[in-house]
Amino acid sequence: MPKLGCSTKALVILLLLVALLVLSFIGGAIGKNFFGETPISRVIGPEKPEVHLPADIVFTVPVFGFALPVTNTILATWLSMLVIIVVALIATRRMALAPGGLQNSFEWGLEKLLGFVEGVAGHENGRRFFPVLATIFLFVMVNAWLALFPGFGSIEIHGPEGKGVHLLRSAGTDINTPLALAIVSFVFVEYWGISSIGLRRYLGKFFNFKQLLKGKVMGLVDVFVGLLELLSEFIRMVSFTFRLFGNMTAGEILLMVVMFLVPWGIALPFYGLELLVGFVQALIFAGLTLVFGTMAVAVHEEGH
Amino acid sequence: MEKLGINIPVLLAQLVNFTILLILLYLFAYKPLLRTLDNRSARIKESMDMAQKIKEQAARTEVEVKAQLDAARQEGQAMIAQASQVGERVKEEAKQGARQEAQAVMVRAKAEMDREREKVVDELRKEFADIAILAAGKVIKESLDKKVHERLIQEVLEQSSLKKK
Repeated sequence: MPKLGCSTKALVILLLLVALLVLSFIGGAIGKNFFGETPISRVIGPEKPEVHLPADIVFTVPVFGFALPVTNTILATWLSMLVIIVVALIATRRMALAPGGLQNSFEWGLEKLLGFVEGVAGHENGRRFFPVLATIFLFVMVNAWLALFPGFGSIEIHGPEGKGVHLLRSAGTDINTPLALAIVSFVFVEYWGISSIGLRRYLGKFFNFKQLLKGKVMGLVDVFVGLLELLSEFIRMVSFTFRLFGNMTAGEILLMVVMFLVPWGIALPFYGLELLVGFVQALIFAGLTLVFGTMAVAVHEEGH
Repeated sequence: MEKLGINIPVLLAQLVNFTILLILLYLFAYKPLLRTLDNRSARIKESMDMAQKIKEQAARTEVEVKAQLDAARQEGQAMIAQASQVGERVKEEAKQGARQEAQAVMVRAKAEMDREREKVVDELRKEFADIAILAAGKVIKESLDKKVHERLIQEVLEQSSLKKK
């Protein structure tokens, strides 16, 4: 059939894909349920995934008598730092030339981010906030995206306690990483607030006794609102931490479960979803820090 | 906390990691990037300013040229007016001079003529006197002596010159 040459090829590919999916169904956990243990499931069927939240220690580094643990999430962090820095170095090596290729896209992305930051915080504050926000953004996003590379979570080595541990694990799924980022965000927000409007005025936002000292009973509301705001400064950290941790962990578990149920093919759309989640979470983390920073540097209006 | 996996050394490690990343990116990415962006926007602003300036300059030059043209035209007009005035004066002077010259020539000619006539009259008179004497001598040869004779003639001449005047 010479006439149908092109569509024959497509047909063959389609048939192969369908066969792959059928095999995958039979071999996965769903197929196992229907057909029991089959030769296919013995070959391609994955192990039952086990979820444990604490990161595994890959090795320890003795420093001053302490055994500093290096977890697989720290290794993943180093990897993403390396990737970010190498890309940044390549992209900015010849900054003076007319932009092209990698530099152009890197520059474009950061420029868009800078535009966003300056749009919210204004030109001057935007410039101050930008390095921290961009680093948070890149850090969260690259950490999330690197974990989607094939083979990232499948390298297993012998850990110090004799059992097998994964060499790399997405850094966001270790609660210490989101917590560290939340602390960084908190510290910088407070720093920006204090350095822009002064310690006295900044603290005056939270300890607002002015109206009460003038003898107004309604000043009690001000005091209450101020203390509530103080509390919310700390609650932000918790919400930052668990938002990122929850999203990253949920993404990881989702992929694991899908792979367990149907090992081949079906997980692909979920990878796309996780790409989006990684970007969105990075944007949210950086964006919320930006908003909190902007709120912190704003001078509270007097007497309203 | 243990279940979640919060672990102070790992937390510290991640804080340090982030800080290192922040510093490195600040030095190698954000600073050059921001500088490039600023340079670019500065250059754009500069060229726009330059264009504005050139436009203003052109407008100013146009006005200037116009003013200069106006001034030149006025000057030219003034010069023409002055020149025609000068010409008028020169003409007047020349006329005046010519008239004076003519007058002088006329006066001189008249004087010359007068002198000439005087001379002629004198000569005529002399001749006339001689003739008269001759005639009179012929007429009254003996009755009169030379002295009386001359007085008579003088008288006649006096009369004649009086008459002439």
